[in-house]
Amino acid sequence: MTDVTELLPIDPDTFRPATRMPDPGDTPRGARRNVRGMTARQHFDLIGAAVAGASLATLLFGWFAPLSGAIGWVVVAFVSFLGLYVLLVSLDADLQEVIDRLTAVLFASAGVVLFGALAFIVVYTLTRGLDALTHTNFFTQTMQFAGPLDPLTTGGIIHAIVGTLIQIAIALAIAVPLGIGTAVFLNEVGGRFARFVRTVSDAMTALPSIVAGLFVYAAVIQGVTHERSGLAAGIAITVMMLPIIIRSADVVLRLVPGNLREASYGLGASRWRTVWHVVLPTARSGLVTSVILGTARGIGETSPVLLTSGVTAAMNTNPLSGPMISLPLQVFDFVRSPEPSMVARGFGAAAVLLVLVLGLFMLARTLGGRAPGDLSARQRRAVQAASRRDVQRFAARHAPAAVAQPTLPDAPARATQGDPS
Amino acid sequence: MTAMLSTSLPRADGDAATPRRFLSRASIPDIVFSRLATSAGVITVSIMLAVGLFLSLRASTALQTVGWSFLTEQQWSPETHTFGVAAVLFGTVTIAVIALVVSVPLSIGTALLLSEVATGRLRGLLVTLVDLMAAVPSIVFGLWGVYFLQGNIIPVAKWISIWFGWVPFFAVTDAQGQPFTEASAFTSSAFIAGIVVGMMVVPTQTSIMREAFARAPIGEREGAYALGSTRWGMIRAVVLPFGKGGIIGGIMLGLGRALGETIAVYMIISPIFVINWQVLKTGTNSVSALIALRYGEASEFGLSALMAAGLVLFLLTLVINFTASSIVARSRSGAESDD
Amino acid sequence: MIRKTLLAVVSLSLLTLSALAGGSATTAHADTYFPITGTGSTWSQNALDQWRANVAKNYGMQVNYSGTGSSQGRRDFIAGTVDFAISEIPFQAKPEDGSPPESPSVDYAYLPIVAGGTSFMYNLKINGKRVTNLRLSGANIAKIFTGAITNWNDPALQKDNPGLAMPNKTIVPVIRSDGSGTSAQFTLWMSKQFPSIWKTGMTSMFPSFGNAKAQKGSDGVAGYVSQNYGEGAITYVEYSYAKKSGYPVAKVLNAAGYYVEPTAYSVAVALTQARINTDKGSAAYLTQILDGVYNASDSRAYPVSSYSYLIVPTEVKSGSIFNTNKGATLAAFTRYMLCEGQQQAATLGYSPLPMNLVQAGSDQITRIPGSGGTGIDTSKCNNPTFKAGDSPTKNQLAKIAPYPAACDKEGANQCTTGTGGAGQDTPTTGSGTGGSANNTPGTTPSTSTGSGSGTGTGSGTTPTSGGAPVVDENGNVLSTTTSGTGQAVATPFTLPAQGVGVSQWLMLAAALGLIAAVVLPPLLLQRLRAGGEGGNA
Repeated sequence: MTDVTELLPIDPDTFRPATRMPDPGDTPRGARRNVRGMTARQHFDLIGAAVAGASLATLLFGWFAPLSGAIGWVVVAFVSFLGLYVLLVSLDADLQEVIDRLTAVLFASAGVVLFGALAFIVVYTLTRGLDALTHTNFFTQTMQFAGPLDPLTTGGIIHAIVGTLIQIAIALAIAVPLGIGTAVFLNEVGGRFARFVRTVSDAMTALPSIVAGLFVYAAVIQGVTHERSGLAAGIAITVMMLPIIIRSADVVLRLVPGNLREASYGLGASRWRTVWHVVLPTARSGLVTSVILGTARGIGETSPVLLTSGVTAAMNTNPLSGPMISLPLQVFDFVRSPEPSMVARGFGAAAVLLVLVLGLFMLARTLGGRAPGDLSARQRRAVQAASRRDVQRFAARHAPAAVAQPTLPDAPARATQGDPS
Repeated sequence: MTAMLSTSLPRADGDAATPRRFLSRASIPDIVFSRLATSAGVITVSIMLAVGLFLSLRASTALQTVGWSFLTEQQWSPETHTFGVAAVLFGTVTIAVIALVVSVPLSIGTALLLSEVATGRLRGLLVTLVDLMAAVPSIVFGLWGVYFLQGNIIPVAKWISIWFGWVPFFAVTDAQGQPFTEASAFTSSAFIAGIVVGMMVVPTQTSIMREAFARAPIGEREGAYALGSTRWGMIRAVVLPFGKGGIIGGIMLGLGRALGETIAVYMIISPIFVINWQVLKTGTNSVSALIALRYGEASEFGLSALMAAGLVLFLLTLVINFTASSIVARSRSGAESDD
Repeated sequence: MIRKTLLAVVSLSLLTLSALAGGSATTAHADTYFPITGTGSTWSQNALDQWRANVAKNYGMQVNYSGTGSSQGRRDFIAGTVDFAISEIPFQAKPEDGSPPESPSVDYAYLPIVAGGTSFMYNLKINGKRVTNLRLSGANIAKIFTGAITNWNDPALQKDNPGLAMPNKTIVPVIRSDGSGTSAQFTLWMSKQFPSIWKTGMTSMFPSFGNAKAQKGSDGVAGYVSQNYGEGAITYVEYSYAKKSGYPVAKVLNAAGYYVEPTAYSVAVALTQARINTDKGSAAYLTQILDGVYNASDSRAYPVSSYSYLIVPTEVKSGSIFNTNKGATLAAFTRYMLCEGQQQAATLGYSPLPMNLVQAGSDQITRIPGSGGTGIDTSKCNNPTFKAGDSPTKNQLAKIAPYPAACDKEGANQCTTGTGGAGQDTPTTGSGTGGSANNTPGTTPSTSTGSGSGTGTGSGTTPTSGGAPVVDENGNVLSTTTSGTGQAVATPFTLPAQGVGVSQWLMLAAALGLIAAVVLPPLLLQRLRAGGEGGNA
């Protein structure tokens, strides 16, 4: 798609498409209406109402009314803030604007509550986990040598971290090829059977993760392996993750523009080459994102492993035999104990899990988060540079034929191999 | 063998224009590719059908034994053949409904904040944060619920039960029907579990709603502003009608997630097997917590009963998810046509 | 790029896998022990966890144990998903609820591994100060756990505790939600001793009732009781959990008329009365018959004492996960448990096994495939209950067990010393006299600078037998000693918000006045200004 710019007499690095406004001539132009920002006056209203609301609540609580409790204070302060804010705004605005301002404040409050609560959850976990996290043995030892009465200086969760990694590796090894393969099948092969597959996999996203665990427990553990193991846990995570990966990969592949495929077919590429060299590379970042998000979900879910992996305090690296604990289950196992040091370990393990999952998520954001074909500035520059080189190469090759410009669309007839790398 | 191409070729009138066939004969790599892709689909479908069939088959033993009373019986005692999901399902639904009561105002508010109020870099940051929060493991929410929220929410629950005790849901009474205000009466309740699950589903709901709101066509937005509407007026006239599908879809997907949540609920509740209308009072249950609690000690028949319960939950979630996705899909196509 | 990422991910994980597998394989080869896995009782989980850590440290043995409840342990053993199981009760040939009998497909044997007392851990405060010396009679316990007694100030409880002014607080019985051997032991005791109060018989699934809270696992119930909001709660759980979480347990009235705490000594004394099924032919060989324990006439005996069993396979079935290698490890682990391991039982909150049971267990060990027929040489067995050359019926522990203090006798005196994991004394608040269990001269809490903060929680009922009441001014005496966890704090009694009186109306008016004072001036000003503008225009 970028080739077109090469053919135009514009430097692609500096060219920015822009809307050209017609010259208004002498028509007077009003000030641009600001629909998102706030004026200084509105800021003052907001701050004033907030201070007044807090003060009023404090007065009511301390002196005037028999109220007590932090939550009550917050509620009263918030209500009086809203009331006062409405009052302040209404001093110099009509009803419409008052409603408008009030709703904006309500939206912002919802945001503050949500982000506040979620940030608090994360910070709370990390802080309570700090007791355990400050001991290096927490990351290097297993719980094998730690009895129920041992302090935090003994024992760690390395076995759970390793268990998590092994189980998720098993799940990924099954779910990624199968999930992306199925998504490719849905999009590139199609047919009635594909519609059936899509319906079934959509239906399976509704499967509660505990039921996936129950299935593996009854079918695999009781029927085949006769013991809880890392493999069983991996399978349970797979059953849970597979529909998620298929669905998001399907969405990503569906977004690959049809004209890219057509161009590839038009160049005479076979279906296999089109998928491998055009469709998958185009959707790459989206696919990576969908896999990583599925992984984050699979790592964090406790219920499938609760039924299938078994509990152990020792390092077990053999997924085929013996229980193999993972981080979420280890957290669950730790915090069942009423003992403070075990609870501290539980929070520590939860903090590690949280950091792992959030790290994966950030990775997904950096790698992907773009629609197919939507390139970052750097990628775009790289592609343009490559195209420029190609143009020069073509030009050099065609120079004897005295044609300065490369020939255009009828070229595919001659190009036997479309190789877009 | 039809490739899914989105462009439709214009058909010239007359008989000369038969569309060109892409390939007369598939090459060997193509056949291999096609086989591989198909087999991936076949394997996936067979795994999923195996799960479904296995569950149904195993569940049928229990279902045949008790028949329809499975849906009306409250007790859970498969050994004596008196078991049913009435109480458990009721608990599941109560927790999910409370979760929605908590999450829906928050998510609609935040989604509008993100799509209509916030600007620039802050907005990008908050959008990322919301998505990030959707990935927080449920056990972390469970820990927060048990170790922080449970202790701190009791005064609130007590306050609600004292002042709104005349609403049957909010009353907390003991066996004799007397109002009950001990702190211990308010622990491990559906209310607390519902709040925790609610916080868990807010991010999912918010991001679906925000996407739907962002799809409201720019033309109508500017039209509303041009006619002198305030921002709220524009939201009410343009964004909300266009995002209606997104709101409903988001709510229902959140509901589906809330119904299936296991570990946080399991950590918080005190399981009972009677229907408890008093949501603030100790004791509730959920299908997934029941499975987590009883799978290990269940006999062959007990497992079958648990699978039947799991199947009921699965079907319920399935109906909700399909309704949600069809609503979202319909609203999306409508919005796009105006774009 | 996908391919590369995938390859990288897969190869990385394989690399870690192989590296780690290599590492663990070498350690496994160094010791010839094979990892064994078991599930079951949470009652004995603390002991198992300690032993598991010890054998890992000292012998490089890997034992995986998960406390999932006795019922699940037995079920896992039947399903063959574990190498061993631990349960308080044997396989139920005729389960009470009429379900089909539990019968494993492999041959199995029972081995007693550790004894202990099912204790009644509670969380109770009087005027903000933790009670640590609660006493309960068996009948009252049964009534609490059937919902017949619902308040801590019930006269029946007050009668047990003359030294305490029992508070007006609802009792929250915390029960097990999962199938549990502790529930089975507790209900068995109630059904044998108080059939008129407890009518359900022995059951692993404790039926929910009235105000009860159900929690999973011993740690679950103990965890609930030890929360702040758990005030007023009481649960049944192994003594070690109370010790570990720092909470007191109730002293239970025994047949000799003494209130006894489930220490290692009192459990050992009580269990001298246990009859053991010694019919080797019976499947229930070595299981306990506890009627003698419940009614032990020794004043030191704790009535709700019992053993926990290890269930081991005695044959190797093809296709099962158990094999003779694992059997050898299991036998070694069991030998450790019965001798060396018992040294720590008392510290943890259990009671060590006596010689006759160790000998009987030794016979069972030889039946484990792979044990090589090696049992236990009692002359070398480092078990605190017997010395080399003792006769099997002797229990060293029972011999040296201290007799309860006079203040522990049923009557007006109540010891003030703490129990369980809560060692601090409880000041006398009721009408009875205090007393210290270790019989130090001079009863402790007579410093009665009481500030009866008007709770009116009532003076104790009149003492049943003699013994001069020392402290009984308000029935509500606070000690100023700070020996305990916290300073005694008098909490003012707040009336529940019921009805709206004159003062409430006044307060409401004041609040409204304040709001009016804030809001009205700007409104009026605006009104005036608007009026003025209108006039001008």
